Amino acid sequence: MLRLLLLLPLFGALLIALLPGRNGVLIRRAALAITAITLGWALWLASAFDPSVASVQLVESHVWNPRMGSAFTLGVDGISLPLVWLATLLAFIAALASGGIKDKPKGYYMLLLLLEAAMLGVFMARDWSLFYVFWELTLLPLFFLIDRYGGKNRSRAALNFVLYTMGGSVFMLIALLMLYDAAPGHSFDMAQIRAGAHQLPEATQIGLFLGLLIGFGVKMPIFPMHGWLPLAHVEAPSPVSILLSGILLKMGSYGLIRAIDTLPAAAVALQGLLLALALISLVYGGILAWKQSDLKAMVAYSSVSHMGIVLLGLAALNNAGFTGAVMQMVAHGLVAGALFLLIGLLYERTHTRELADYASLVKVMPRFAFFTILAFIAAVGMPGTAGFVAELHALIGGFARWGAWVVPVSLTVIISAAYSVRVIGRLFTGPIASPQSDRMRHLPDLTRGEFTAAAVLTAGTLIIGFYPAPMLDLIAATVGLYAEVFAS
Amino acid sequence: MMNFAWIALVPALPLLAALLIAGLHLAGPARGERGEALTARVTLAAAGAAFLLLLGLDVSALVAGAPGQVDVADWFASGDFRLPLSFTLDNLSLGFGTLVGFIALVTLKFSVSYMHREAGFHRFFIGMNLFVAGMLLIVLAGNAGLAFVGWELAGVSSWMLIGYAFERDTATLNAQRAFLTNRIGDAGFLLAIALAFLWMGGLDWNTMSHAAARLPTLYVGLIGFGFVTAALAKSAQVPFSPWIARALEGPTPSSAIFYGAVMVHAGVYLVIRLETVLIHTPGVMALIAALGLITALYGWLVGMVQTDVKSGLLFATLTQVGLMFLACGLGLFQLAAWHMALHATWRAWQFLAAPSYMHLLNATTTPPAPAWMRNCPRLYTAALQRFWLEPLADRLLTRPTQGLAHDMRAVDDNVISRLVGMPAAQSAAALLDARDNSATVVRGRGLAGGLLVWLAGRLGDFEQRLVLQGGGGKLAEGMRRLGDWLKWVEGLLEQPRYLLLMMMATLVVIL
Repeated sequence: MLRLLLLLPLFGALLIALLPGRNGVLIRRAALAITAITLGWALWLASAFDPSVASVQLVESHVWNPRMGSAFTLGVDGISLPLVWLATLLAFIAALASGGIKDKPKGYYMLLLLLEAAMLGVFMARDWSLFYVFWELTLLPLFFLIDRYGGKNRSRAALNFVLYTMGGSVFMLIALLMLYDAAPGHSFDMAQIRAGAHQLPEATQIGLFLGLLIGFGVKMPIFPMHGWLPLAHVEAPSPVSILLSGILLKMGSYGLIRAIDTLPAAAVALQGLLLALALISLVYGGILAWKQSDLKAMVAYSSVSHMGIVLLGLAALNNAGFTGAVMQMVAHGLVAGALFLLIGLLYERTHTRELADYASLVKVMPRFAFFTILAFIAAVGMPGTAGFVAELHALIGGFARWGAWVVPVSLTVIISAAYSVRVIGRLFTGPIASPQSDRMRHLPDLTRGEFTAAAVLTAGTLIIGFYPAPMLDLIAATVGLYAEVFAS
Repeated sequence: MMNFAWIALVPALPLLAALLIAGLHLAGPARGERGEALTARVTLAAAGAAFLLLLGLDVSALVAGAPGQVDVADWFASGDFRLPLSFTLDNLSLGFGTLVGFIALVTLKFSVSYMHREAGFHRFFIGMNLFVAGMLLIVLAGNAGLAFVGWELAGVSSWMLIGYAFERDTATLNAQRAFLTNRIGDAGFLLAIALAFLWMGGLDWNTMSHAAARLPTLYVGLIGFGFVTAALAKSAQVPFSPWIARALEGPTPSSAIFYGAVMVHAGVYLVIRLETVLIHTPGVMALIAALGLITALYGWLVGMVQTDVKSGLLFATLTQVGLMFLACGLGLFQLAAWHMALHATWRAWQFLAAPSYMHLLNATTTPPAPAWMRNCPRLYTAALQRFWLEPLADRLLTRPTQGLAHDMRAVDDNVISRLVGMPAAQSAAALLDARDNSATVVRGRGLAGGLLVWLAGRLGDFEQRLVLQGGGGKLAEGMRRLGDWLKWVEGLLEQPRYLLLMMMATLVVIL
């Protein structure tokens, strides 16, 4: 089943390669159909998945290189399945939102599908070598997507992004190779490596964990390693920004969860460092988001802040914290996806992202206003949205571990409310004073496709916010297993 | 035989009808005069179905015996706290529930013609449906939590219908006053719910009555006091009476069902429902009896001097409800229940028929107050002034609250707003004007805002210098330097003499 999920977008990319390059509409329809089928198939996995089982399910394994001990092993558990769903959903949304790409559509959609396949591979791989291959594989399509279809500074952004990620990956690779050495059967299989790593002395574990932390931290991003993010997000075409912040960032935190499970002694020893990084990321990202007047840069920095909550939940090393981290990954995927989608749509119409250029859009684009306001409210983590469930769990987890030290988190809630409300106020109220005011009065509202995309993401946020029980049940078993290691 | 779980549908149907009408009103079909038939059909279908369902359940209960507690589902649970969607079906609830369903059906049918061509036709029916749902929930609920939901639904719909003519100041003022008075009762209800959960371990009527037998009298008394406060407020007993006179502002059918027939009895019903709890607290029982007696006297005396038919009927109602409370306080719960059912039926008819009678009889004069009252001017004035209950409440509650609010506002405006940088209320308009010609988005006001601006500036500099500067930040620069250096080493290695040196070094190491 999982193999097919991986192959669907790959075959889709192949199919698009065979289509005539000039027929943009046909290519777009094909890409939409493929992402929709992939999404459907991913959702169908729920029928075969048993949420009460904590271990990896739907495993498929093929020996890849017997001498090296690497295998093509796929599998999902309660942590990766929601992320697989998120990835397929956001890929579909990104394809829906790509209506504005008129130039070289063939290459664009091919790269988009390749990216989807690589991301799914990261979440489903149960073998560290395979994981690493998919991890690096996401870079290629992204590099070209940003470099060829991005904004003004796209080359710099693309290069910067790849350099940062590759730089982190080197440390990750070294750590993985050392882990491989420690595994009893000399294998890259995640379970075997985990068993081997648990036997290592604490000092070695800490060294290995730091290597993985750098690799995953760049992607996530954690405070000093986030330099690529504002540039890449601002310059990438909006649908790519959706995938970038919606899923690519989650790959980092997903890897970190696996790393914590693999090297528990190091995680315990470095708990203080993780907390410090989480709190700095939270406050730093929040304040810089507040400082931006460019809409996309603002959402980009707010992502740093939101991923800080994921790190906080992980650092707590308890059940509530892990639950909060996984929930926040999903919640932020939906919210950031919605925000980049909507801002992208606005940019397509006006070609400005400066907040000061806008006013009174609620009269011109009421449907756009409705979804944008909801998305920003969800970004603040208002009760009734998915972000609230996530933040609450992460806070409870953090509080159980450190008590009052997590107080700064509430400070970031105020800051995030400050910039969210400011954007809402600036975009939708007040007099129109910009020189382009005439054009601003005649902007078309959301089209049917855009409406669907925004509605799906918003509905997801609200459903999880109002009725989180099914989602929590889905991740509970696996998270319980992970937290058990640290309970004693 | 009917499955008793169907009972959940009874309050749900009017609720769904309200939502459906609201939705249809927003979407378009249920609007204006043309939509009246649709709204009426939805309403009557829901009320009719609920009534028939109740009758069916009555028959089942007659044949198979009333089931008592019926658990339908869990609504929500958190830790020890659990709120099931449970219903109590005994002779009292089934009997009174059927009566409520019947009166609701008749009143709704009456309203369809009465409200014809009124501007707020659809709004009226949304409110009425909500009320019917709330009232049925109060009567049928199996635990205090669910009953409270109905209690609030009834309160909110009452507020909606008193303020039906919201263009008029008096209507909105009266709606607010009535709602706020009821909120005092709601506070009592909530307190009782919290204490009952804490001390009795559950909100089921059964659990509560079992627990009441073994708890100290003081505890039971506190819980009982909370519930009784709610009951007194809802049934407009002294000292909460004044709100009900203001509530007459709504359209006649809603007055009939709210204050004549049904809602005014909700308090009595709650007291009867809690019989097994209250009998363990003599103090609260005495309180009920005393206030009931006082209300009966109050309603009787004030009723003497009323000059319009609606007020006259209303104070007569108060007298009767006061007598019911008196009966309850004396332990005659059975009597109170019968009194309640009979009075509800009779008064609903009277309220609905009153406007037509007035019309037919062309009556202009009201009989004067009896002679003994006229001979005692003080009593007469007191009755005319309704014993100054409302000015008293104003002096004791409203004015101190207003004063406190005023002081708080001053603190807020002068200290807190300045500290956090909130614009004062008066200058909000000025603020919008100022925005006109300022392109700066990032601004902060007050102490907190200033701090944030300063911090954001510092962090922004840091970000620019260290993370984003140059082609790829410091990292890229460092890598470039490393690359240059490696290139230089590579260049050296390409030269034959160094290559030879390397090979020799390798050989030395191997050997």
